[in-house]
Order: sequence, then C-alpha cells, then structure tokens
Amino acid sequence: MKDIFLDAAINLKNRQVVKWKKQDKKIVGYTCSFLPKEILYAADIIPYRIRGINAEGMDIADAYYGPFICTFPKCMLQLFGENKYSFLDGVIITDGCDSMRRLDECLRKAGEDNQAILPSFCHYFETPHKSDSHCIEWLIDGINIFISKLNKHFSVEITNEKIIESVCEYNKTSELMHDINELRQCDDIYISGYDVFIISIAATSMPINVFNKYLVEYITELKQKKEHINNKKRIMLLGSGNDDISFIKTIEDAGAIIVSDNLCFGIDQHTKININNNDPVSSIAKHYLTQSTCPRMFGGYNERLKQIYENIEKFKVQGVILQNIRFCDLHGSENGLYETDLEAKGIKSLKIEREYGSKEDRGRLKMRIDAFLERLSNI
Amino acid sequence: MRPELKEYNFDWMLWATTEIAYKTLRGTEKEYKKMLNYMPYFRGLLDLFVLYGEPGIKFLELIKTVLSNIIKAHDNGKKLGMTTFCFSPIIFYAMDIVPVILEPLTVLPTVLWKRGTFDYMDYCFELGFTETSCSSQRGSLGAYLANLCEQVDFIVVDSGGICDTNANSFAFASSYLKKPMYHMDYPADLVSQKAKQYHREDFKKLIEFLEYQTGKKLDISKLRSVLKETIKQDIILSELEELQMIKPNPLPVIYNLFIYAGRFFSTGTPEYTELLQAMLNIAKENARSGKSGIIGLNEKCRAFFCYIDHYTADARMWKWLDQHGIAHIGCILSRFYSDRSPYIVDEEEAYKIETASLDSMIDSISEINARSPMVRTIRGPYDAPHMWLDDSIKLAKLFQADCVVYNGTPGCRNTWGMVKPFARDVEKAGFPTLIMYSDAFDDRVQSWEATTERLDEFFKIRRLI
Repeated sequence: MKDIFLDAAINLKNRQVVKWKKQDKKIVGYTCSFLPKEILYAADIIPYRIRGINAEGMDIADAYYGPFICTFPKCMLQLFGENKYSFLDGVIITDGCDSMRRLDECLRKAGEDNQAILPSFCHYFETPHKSDSHCIEWLIDGINIFISKLNKHFSVEITNEKIIESVCEYNKTSELMHDINELRQCDDIYISGYDVFIISIAATSMPINVFNKYLVEYITELKQKKEHINNKKRIMLLGSGNDDISFIKTIEDAGAIIVSDNLCFGIDQHTKININNNDPVSSIAKHYLTQSTCPRMFGGYNERLKQIYENIEKFKVQGVILQNIRFCDLHGSENGLYETDLEAKGIKSLKIEREYGSKEDRGRLKMRIDAFLERLSNI
Repeated sequence: MRPELKEYNFDWMLWATTEIAYKTLRGTEKEYKKMLNYMPYFRGLLDLFVLYGEPGIKFLELIKTVLSNIIKAHDNGKKLGMTTFCFSPIIFYAMDIVPVILEPLTVLPTVLWKRGTFDYMDYCFELGFTETSCSSQRGSLGAYLANLCEQVDFIVVDSGGICDTNANSFAFASSYLKKPMYHMDYPADLVSQKAKQYHREDFKKLIEFLEYQTGKKLDISKLRSVLKETIKQDIILSELEELQMIKPNPLPVIYNLFIYAGRFFSTGTPEYTELLQAMLNIAKENARSGKSGIIGLNEKCRAFFCYIDHYTADARMWKWLDQHGIAHIGCILSRFYSDRSPYIVDEEEAYKIETASLDSMIDSISEINARSPMVRTIRGPYDAPHMWLDDSIKLAKLFQADCVVYNGTPGCRNTWGMVKPFARDVEKAGFPTLIMYSDAFDDRVQSWEATTERLDEFFKIRRLI
C-alpha cells in the first residue's frame, strides 16, 4: 500500500493537507456523500470529508447532543471541540440523516461557546429525499446558492468550465476505482478489502488530482503483482458509513476478504457523472439524487436489493455482513430487511450493531465474525 | 409475540374495547358503577372520560367511529391508507379513503391497556426492524406487520426531510408488507414561494398516486365540503386557544389530548366538529365564572409541553397534572397554524383555506400539511425563524407559561440531536425547562413512577408549585 494513502486514511491532518495549506490554499470540510464535492474542487478548494476517527472521549459532544444519537457525528463534534479541525477553512453540514443534520446546530452552538473551533464559512446544504423533477429543481437551486456563497466568501469564480474540469477529474477517480473493483471480481484476488478502504478513504481527504496520479501508479503495480490472497471467505460489507480501517482489519484478520461493499466511504461511492457541458449543475444534481444507494432515499429498497444481488453474483460473494452504528435507524432497518431477503435466497448474512470509533466492542464483534465465518465454512 | 395476542386482531380488540366502553355509558349511573368492577384494566381511563363530561364521551364516540371505519373499510368497499399523525387526513376523507394512523393507534392501547403495546413493539424487532426506532409507530406497526389487522392497501407518509425515523418506519412497512408507498418530502424552508411550489408539486403527485390506488378521480365537491368543515373546526379551535391564554386556564388538562387526537383522526368530519363544540361550551362556561379547568384544585402553575405528552396507562399524566394544579397549555401536537389561530404573527406562517377552485384547494391542503405538528416545527434548524425555538418561546409567552417541559421518545433522533442547546436557549428566555428521559409510549424505558419523581423534583426545585 502506498504510504500516501495510508497517511490520508489514518490521520486527519495528513501530509497532503499540510502541503496544501503551505501553498495558502483552502480546505472545506463536509459531512456526507450527498455534498457535490466537484463544486468545491472547481474553486481550487480541497473537499475534505469530515471524520470522527481517533476521538478519545465524548465530553464535548455530550454537552450539545442528547444521549440517543449516533456516535459518528458525535465524534466529529468532539474533534471540532478539541480543535482538531483547525485546518479547515469552512464546514458544510448536509441532511444525510437526522443525527448528522443536527450537527449544524450543535456545532454552531459549540462555536458560540468557543469561537476558535468554528471555521469562518459554515453552510447547511440541503438535499431532497427523492428524485422527482421538482426535487431535482430544488437541488439545482441549492447548488447554485452554494456556488454563490463560495464565490463570495472565498473570492473565487466558479464557472461552468471549471465545474466540468472538476467533474472530469472526479470521473477519472471513478474509472480508476472501477478498475480496482474489476480486479476484485477475479477468482484470484491481489488486493485486500483493507487496502481498498484505505484508498477509498484517502480519496476524500486529499487533492483529487494528486490522488489520481498515485492511484494510476498503484493500479499498475497491482496488476503486476504475483502473489494473490488465498483461502479467504469472500464477503460483502453493507450498512452504515465506515471510515475505520481497523474494523475492516478485524473482519479480514478473522479469515475473510471483503470483495464488495456498499458503504459511505466505500469504493462504490465513487461513481461517474454523465456531464452535460451546457448545464453541468443540472447533471450534478441529477446524479446525486438518482445514483445514491443510501436508504435516506426512502422507497428505493427494491432497487438497492437488486443491485446487491447483482454484486453478489459479480463478486462471487459467499456471505454478507450487515452492520450499523447504534441509533442509525436507516441502515438498522434496511439491514433487517436485507437479512430476511438474503437468507431466504440462501445467502448467508450476519447483522451486527456497533459503535463508531470505539474499540471497546471489537472483541465482541470479532467473536460474532468468527462464528459467521465458521458458518460459511460449513456450507 | 405471546400466542394469546394473536387470537384476536389488534384493531378489532381496540374497537371492541371502545365499543363496550361507550355502551357502558348508556346505562344508568348505578349500572355504570357496577360495570366498572368488571373492567380491571381500563376502568381508570373510562372513568376519566366520564369525569370530563360530554367532551369525554364525544371523544370516545369519535374513537369508536374511527376504529369501526377501519375494521369495516373493506366490507364497505373503501380503501385503507396507512399514514402518520402529521399527515392531514383531509385528502383521504375527500377521496373516501379510511386513514390508519399509526401513532394515535399506538397511543390508544398505551393509555387503554395495562400491557400497552409492548408485544407489538417487540414483534417489530423479530422481523429485523431496528430497536432504536421511534416507539410511536412501533406500537401499532407491529400488529400490522404481524397481519393482526385489517390489511392496508397503500401507505402515504409526509415526513421525508422532517423525521428519518418516522419515514423509515413506513418505508420498512412498505417493503415488508409489499404495499405501494408515496412519500412526501419537505425542504427546511417553510414560507418562501419556492417552498410553497415544492409543497404544491408534491401534493399534486400524491393525488395522482391516490387516484391510481383507489381507481377514482378526486371528487372536487367532496373535497370542498371536507375543507369547509375544517374551516368550522379552525374557528372553534381558535376560540379554544384564546380561552387557553386566560389565567386561570378554563380548559381541563385533557382537552389538549382531545384536540390533537381528534384532529389527527378526523379533521374535516362532523364528529370532530361536535367534539370541539362540546369542549368550547364547557371552556366558555368555566371562563365566564373565572374557573380553572383543573379538577379539584386552583391553577398553581402553567406548563407548556414543547414536544409531546406522556401516554402511560390510564392517562395518568393528565391525572398527575390535575392532582398538582398544573394547567396544560398545549404542546407541539396541538398547534396547527391556521390563519385564525391567535398566535399567528405574520400571515406567511399560517395556512389559509380557500375553496374557490381545485388549485386553491390543493394549495390549501398542501399548506395545512406543511404546518402539521412536527412537519412545520422541526423541518429546519431549531433556531431558524418559525422553527422549534421561535415557536416554543412565542407560545410559552402568549399562553403565559411558567415552565417548559420536553418529553418525547428515545427514538426521536431529531429532537435529541438539538434538545440540549434548545433547552439552554429556552432557559435563557426565562422559562425553567425540563428535559424528560422517559419514553412517551413505552413505560419499560422509564416507569411512570420514576417519571413522576423527575417531574416532582423539577416542579419543586424550580419552585413552580
């Protein structure tokens, strides 16, 4: 694994971030995959996916959030409170889910108590929950407002040409990720799920052109690799967002290999935008509302299930691990439906609930994963 | 689920309970008193309804009619539409669709039966539904998932963009029961023209969905008549609200429940108008004589519930309020923001019912929905204009509250995501504020006895009573 990817996956203030800031360039954080990051990059700003890794307590987050809330945004708030995100020039909160959308208020209020923790640019980016024409129109307006605010605050000019260039760069990422995914479909696999996640997370926290350059090199190396990974159970991982690579390691160390996933921060999040050069904003809005596989888009369960069946076949999946962070109602419920439907088709699945970031339940999870893999061995 | 609970349908049991209770009231007082001995579980509640006189009996009658309509819907050639409390049933009544509203259908057995809806709630988990979801839907949803109810024909939900846990419950039901669903979505903004256009477009698509599901075109004259009945109700409601501002509050504490439960089940029906009228008559009489609506005591304190009430068995929350001399001056569920409401500051924040044309009627209903409890108040950041903080402080001041109480359910991701800074801001505005950690629909989370200890502690320590 390239050190540059690992550094970006495990450190908030990674080397690429430091380098970028030395050039006096801007970095803006965002909380959810529904934010059209292409717009930020078009303004020569790094779109940086905010994470909650390495949070060691919850005292600050608990002062604002109530107790029955997903630990993912809580860890983010905690890190903001500890000034770990001081390198951000802006923050954008999206209504990906209810716990996440309320980070808007909690972070602003924490910022009133301690002004140092809040970047000067704060924006609440709203995304509809369905893709009807009026919803797409709403999102187009939302993106245009977002562009105007960025132009004004950062004294930039985001033109259609710049947006198209940015989309092309991100589309390159999607193509490269697609290449990696193709490698995972083979009987002989040369890349672990752990490495794939490191790459996928790194893509969200560094300049995308730099990322692409290194990924091209990495894929070339990968294709020349002779050793492949043997005798592992081929697993699909679904559910709540995960940017904790140690969780992936726990699964793979137990004797599995993750060959496919559908997670926020996962490789399938990098999908190509069909861009209309005359109206790139509309293309982006349509893409974000129609291509997502997140259960926040209510009523799309059957389509998502179909996609899972297709991937199970394509990636020769032997078992599915369905995980959700506690209080993640969206994935928690959908996982319950998946479990029933998959098992009815003879596809073994394991449904587990976990806390975000906490290593305390790792032993418990390992025991359940071990038992699941044993179950797969007995087929 | 315990096998004995599968012997009878959930909706039928509820209907039978209310039907028997209602018949009991038709006897002489002696007969009624005698009958109470044979009702170990719900005599407390029945007696409470009787205690509140005609409105209590009217309320029971309304519930009985609603339940009877549900269990007989298919026999009567009508479709059953599952929906949520914050969706106004006006369009259903206009299209001859019988509403099955999950949250009040959870509340009813929770206050009525000692066992509440625990078995049905837990049955949801057996099917894979998440245990951290909102208990307000789970109580009755479990019975529908267990096929212990008259089967619904389709699902309509209007909490997209408002409450994930709510919308998610209906999405789960739709996938599990394999029933078609239409879900409405709301932007954070309430009053802009752009938001109104969004509401309108969404509502038009809903009508298309309902026409397809029922195989019938929307009957414009029926819609007009339901809306005209709603106007009558809004006029009475605004009078009740004005009376509620008086000190002492002439409305008995339980009227708040009657107002919103009746509205959720039966907006635009004559039964609800009769219930409101009965309440208004008594409230006016109390106001004329300067009497508080609290039974047996003078008004010592006025509490504004900034979220929802607590629905423990036998409606003991309202008894507790009565026993402590605390007037209930409303909650998020009992404010609907019609243009007649006495708390409207600018006309943008209110809905207005216009019945001149189909378009104006569609606009009216879509704006009623956009201002339904929860849909209006928590769609955006809590401290934005017209949202939770703004509304709560305004209502607390207008209705002369002495304190603000937050009560909800652990399943409410939205309010638990902001209630701490919200409470801090309400305190800053001068209102002692209590955050309750109980579950309004599930006493197993915190027993009613423990909940009352928290309430006692708050009201005593803050020197409110």
